[in-house]
Amino acid sequence: MKRIFAAAAVVLLSTLGAAHEPLPPGYGELGYALPAPGSYRLPPLGRAADGEVLDTRGETRSLGALLDGRVTVLSFIYQSCHDTSGCPLATTVLHRIRQDTAREPELAERLRLISLSFDPDRDTPEHMAHLAHNFRFVEGGSDWLFLTTASQEKLQPILDAYGQAMMRERGPDGEETGDLAHVLRVFLIDSERRIRNIYSPSFLHPDLVLNDVRTLFAEAGPDPAHAPAHTAHAATAGPGDDKTGYERPDYRTRSLSLAVRRGRPMDLLANLQDPPLGLPPVPVPADAPVTQKTVAIGRKLFFDRRLSLNGTFSCAMCHIPEQGFASNELKTAVGIEGRTVRRNAPGLFNAAYSAPLFHDGRETRLEHQVWEPLLAANEMGNPSIASVVEKVRRLPDYRGLFEDAFGRGPDMETIGQALASYERTLNCGDSPFDRWYYGGEPSAIGDAVERGFAVFMGKGGCVGCHLIGPEHALFTDGRLHNTGIGYAASMAREPTTRRIQVAPGVALDVAAALIGKVSEAPPSDLGRYEITRDPDDRWKYKTPGLRNLTLTAPYMHDGSIATLAEVVAFYDGGGVENPLLDPSIRRLDLSAREQTDLVAFLEALTGRCDDLVADAFAAPVGDASADDPPWWE
Amino acid sequence: MTTLRLASAFILSAGLAGPALLPGTAAADETCMSPYMTKISGQEDFVYVWTLGMDGVGDEQDKLVTVAVNPSSPDYGKVVHTLSVGGRNEAHHAGFTDDRRWLWGAGLDTSKIYVFDVHSDAGQPKLHKVIEDFVAASGGVVGPHTAYALPGRMMLTGLSNNKDHGGRTALVEYTNEGEYVATHWMPTDDNLQGAEKTGQYADGYGYDVRVLPRRNLMITSSFTGWSNYMMDFGKMLKDEEAMKRFGNTVVVWDLHSRKPEKVFDVPGAPLEIRCAWGPENNYCFTSTALTSKLWLIYADERDDWQAKEVATIGDPSQVPLPVDISISADDRLLWVDTFMDGKTRLFDVSDPFHPKQIYEREIGKQINMVSQSWDGKRLYFTSSLLANWDKKGEDDEQYLKAFEWNGQALEPTFAIDFIAEKLGRPHIMRFGSYALYGQAPAASATTELARRD
Repeated sequence: MKRIFAAAAVVLLSTLGAAHEPLPPGYGELGYALPAPGSYRLPPLGRAADGEVLDTRGETRSLGALLDGRVTVLSFIYQSCHDTSGCPLATTVLHRIRQDTAREPELAERLRLISLSFDPDRDTPEHMAHLAHNFRFVEGGSDWLFLTTASQEKLQPILDAYGQAMMRERGPDGEETGDLAHVLRVFLIDSERRIRNIYSPSFLHPDLVLNDVRTLFAEAGPDPAHAPAHTAHAATAGPGDDKTGYERPDYRTRSLSLAVRRGRPMDLLANLQDPPLGLPPVPVPADAPVTQKTVAIGRKLFFDRRLSLNGTFSCAMCHIPEQGFASNELKTAVGIEGRTVRRNAPGLFNAAYSAPLFHDGRETRLEHQVWEPLLAANEMGNPSIASVVEKVRRLPDYRGLFEDAFGRGPDMETIGQALASYERTLNCGDSPFDRWYYGGEPSAIGDAVERGFAVFMGKGGCVGCHLIGPEHALFTDGRLHNTGIGYAASMAREPTTRRIQVAPGVALDVAAALIGKVSEAPPSDLGRYEITRDPDDRWKYKTPGLRNLTLTAPYMHDGSIATLAEVVAFYDGGGVENPLLDPSIRRLDLSAREQTDLVAFLEALTGRCDDLVADAFAAPVGDASADDPPWWE
Repeated sequence: MTTLRLASAFILSAGLAGPALLPGTAAADETCMSPYMTKISGQEDFVYVWTLGMDGVGDEQDKLVTVAVNPSSPDYGKVVHTLSVGGRNEAHHAGFTDDRRWLWGAGLDTSKIYVFDVHSDAGQPKLHKVIEDFVAASGGVVGPHTAYALPGRMMLTGLSNNKDHGGRTALVEYTNEGEYVATHWMPTDDNLQGAEKTGQYADGYGYDVRVLPRRNLMITSSFTGWSNYMMDFGKMLKDEEAMKRFGNTVVVWDLHSRKPEKVFDVPGAPLEIRCAWGPENNYCFTSTALTSKLWLIYADERDDWQAKEVATIGDPSQVPLPVDISISADDRLLWVDTFMDGKTRLFDVSDPFHPKQIYEREIGKQINMVSQSWDGKRLYFTSSLLANWDKKGEDDEQYLKAFEWNGQALEPTFAIDFIAEKLGRPHIMRFGSYALYGQAPAASATTELARRD
């Protein structure tokens, strides 16, 4: 060993980079406190391979058999190695481990150390025995085997299996110097022959290795990874990444872990057959009956990200359950490859009643509507109907489901029906307003809500478009109107600067010209006109229902209004003046209190949606797997 | 630490074993490599450029582009190999395994990871394996970003998740063979996992990762989720909701147990992390993209880790957008690229608490990554930030530009127009060398391998 160290020192002085490179910690103190043994996990890193090796007596042994039943520290070395950060380090650390375990016979018995040469030409069993002899003075301690192999041919599969690439160094004239270039790796292997850690010189240290060994021995006890870390519940209303108040310097995060986003399935069909208070019977087309089975397939499809061209998008990526099946995190949606979608993702609660569909009212049936995002180049991007049908047909986890539910396999109709079936169950009512107005519970709402209701029905005139019936209410006339928001987006001049929030409490006024350098030409949006080609329909958009608004910010067809108070203020001001402004939109001159009351009323329209969201959390998310079939022959 | 020389190439095996080694990875250049990996300390032979496919350009696919950069090569300054992988994945960062045999190129969009064999022939990388199920295997992590070498395994940072495409995410560990090992979620308010929330934020976002093994330290930064990094930059800047969803944290972790210890407020999207190399220099730099600041994460006199803003980059009111930084091997200089003004800036960071800008030069109409050789003499720059964040129209230059730093100024050596060459949007650069694998250039007469001493 002395000779080896002396030779290595020369190499050390020749290094580049930092003028003084310290010895690796394995020769001295570790320099930091280790976590308590058993307080952390050492996840398996694959199986430790077998191989044919020779012991110091020259007898053939199975490496695998030597690994069985004990925890093993396995080091690849070669005796002529000079590098202080290499083989001598590994051997020194194993020696120190042996010394340390000499004081702990119980641990020593369950641990084995192995030094295996990767230079069979020179490290014969006799040479390995000589090396072993150098370490004979330690009394007790764990078993330490010095192994080699019979030939390069016997060695190579072992090196390959342990990822120990090796290169023979050559001198100036191309002759082999005898040095072997390799990455020093020392392996910790458990008693079931699984690799549990791989050490390099920067942290190969007896204290650390023994800490890990004790951690493996502690595995019989409770698994720290499965200890109940906390008992928080997933929020079923609002993003888990809540940014309320981000504009202010005193903003504090209230983030929730995704791990708690777990739910429980509910009887979705019952929610269709017996819709919650305040909602009318769910219209179901005679040619598209809804059953438990069609709903189950639709729910599976809804959360399946494989149903997009490149496997990144499901319906649920824009219609996020805890965000009202809309998106609170974007004004307007983003599709595959980040492509621009012009409009705000609408919430899907009570979509069963929605007619017409889309902000511009261009569809009339859910079965048809669901195909548009699947096929839109800027949404899920599928190039054809066949590409979707074939995917569903080939995915093993859908096998037989369609046949069982529909009597035939996936096709354009059955896929549409399945998705529509799920959507028809997402009915959320029984709001405080419903319990007060339809349920006869006087205490369900407070005075402000009641006053707000009066404004809604009277001075505000809101009910003219957001209808309320004697037995139920959908808060929409199903018609399209021009409020001026679309007009302004198309016709108003761009401001010269724009205020941009760059951090909590930090906003900058940035020149529009600078923003323009990184902006695509914004797509125009002419509303209903794009469907009818009637100039009078320019900038008309569908009247949305008002239920569950607290879940679906931001508002309007383009997400341009962030809060309900601002929405109310917008209508109080009479919308945006333009030649096609809907005549029912006019200045209201509501007092501040009337506006606050109106907001309170709108907030009282949020129903009991938690079970639907919890059900969605329980749905499996479809992601690409190694077992996916090819989509095309 | 030992060195080898093949022809004119040096290999520096920092902190590894044996006389020479194999490669590793991580975010940007030779001085940002994992400490577990061999470094090329002399003349590199190749720059591997992980390049995004671009609509309307060539075959429109992501590809690994290999450029010969050794002046002794007859192909110096030319593309010598391209390898298209099929589809666009938002190719972004790439990193070597610790033995520098494999280059893992990650796709921020599709979450696919392409494992390239760079050791069989350093000048002709081959596609070895595609990890398709990263999202499913990891339990819902989307957007693998940094691929950072740990001994025998890779640590991948995520940027997003498959539930809301927002910024909450995790670190994901794989073996070098491409087998999933573990997911380590970033600390959130409801589950800080024992970490101390030192300020107001614990957002659970991720971006880059680095380690200081001698201090048992792992450090992560935070960017934004899929929706933001994929969408049109201008559209996002006009979306007040989207702009609230950027990372404002740096987390320091116990490297051995993978447990977060402290969450620091570093507002404005701290991106690349570069740690000092000197054995006594217990600090790392990061720059905040939106607020244009340099931050120092350092061990104080009581050996506690702290975060401190130490410099301003350009004029923050003009949103220069610092995107990549590169530290010199002697810890004295730090290059900082700012996307919007197309400039690289050089800071003297010999006093890490008081960086001073000493030089700047406009490299192009837009700029993103910078990579420097270990000796600091050669610098390479690429242009693309993200497919939909790059400038539009005439300003959408796509290039690899090489320079020499003579101590006073950057002198151009060669440039490749990635649109004219029908390649796409060049992003991260990683260095390759024949000497790493005991190979010699096919056309070269000098095949000897010499010890530097």
